[in-house]
Amino acid sequence: MLLAYCSRKLDPESTAILEDHIRICPACREFASGQQAVWKALDAWEATPVSADFDRRLYQRIDREVSWWDLLMRPFRPLLLRQGLPIAAAVALVIGAGVLLERPGAVPPASAPVSAQVDVVAPDQAEHALQEMEMMREFNRLVHPDTADPKM
Amino acid sequence: MDYDAELMLRVKDGDGASFGVLLEKHRSSVVHFLYRMVQNHPVAEELAQEVFLRVYRSRSTYEPTAKFTTWLFRIATHLALNALRDGKNERLQEHLDDDSSDMPVRQISDSRPSVEQFMVYQARLDEVRRAVATLPEKQRAAVLMHKYEEMEYSQIARVLNCSESAVKSLLFRAYETLRARLAHMA
Repeated sequence: MLLAYCSRKLDPESTAILEDHIRICPACREFASGQQAVWKALDAWEATPVSADFDRRLYQRIDREVSWWDLLMRPFRPLLLRQGLPIAAAVALVIGAGVLLERPGAVPPASAPVSAQVDVVAPDQAEHALQEMEMMREFNRLVHPDTADPKM
Repeated sequence: MDYDAELMLRVKDGDGASFGVLLEKHRSSVVHFLYRMVQNHPVAEELAQEVFLRVYRSRSTYEPTAKFTTWLFRIATHLALNALRDGKNERLQEHLDDDSSDMPVRQISDSRPSVEQFMVYQARLDEVRRAVATLPEKQRAAVLMHKYEEMEYSQIARVLNCSESAVKSLLFRAYETLRARLAHMA
């Protein structure tokens, strides 16, 4: 209430009552005089005038923003005006699908089993090929005992 | 609905002239509030430009749910608090220590008493500015809105997004600090 009184926001009736009280209450009197001093000191603080080109600079920024946005949206404006919502929904759907497909977890882990299978099969195949080569060598030795390569 | 909100709704409908009216009406109070918050004139004007730019950008989504000035000062306070937290307050400190070059220009005559009066005025002003600058940011914003914009507690509460009793508490503590620092100036 004292704060409101010092900032002159009290109605006349309350002001009169408070002023009567302040006359007999030293604590409130001290508070009120201190607050009025603060109020007076703050009154002395004048703000600097606004620059003369404030509006011009602001409208320049607005124009720059508007023209940039216009350039970007110009090709889509007729469509947006007529079918804004369906287009927005379609764009959201495409983006959503793209995001889902791009997620590594969404791609089936096909490569891992293939490489595992190759790792398992390859030694068998090599062993099989070596056995076939050995059989051919044996057969060759039996057919041409003289010409057989001793190193092999 | 207040007249400013009506103007803003016209801006929403594409009436650029109404934006001009709002700018004309609130330009000074926004710049002055920001100046007293950050105590640096170029920074205050830069922030004020951003305030009005945000108002303009938000025109299409504007709904008059609160007083226009509440919304306006909420943007301004938000930007000022961010600027202070982003380190522009360091510039403020530098500014307080310089020769106050962006103070209002006053005509000084050649006579000696006027120069003295001017010096006294500057000294008092510096003291006031320093006292306000030492207040915590929210207290400072509350005091500036209460003192210079003559806002009600309820409106300050909505700007600062707190309760009315919290605003009263902020103001009480802020004025207590200011009384301790400035009471001797009576």
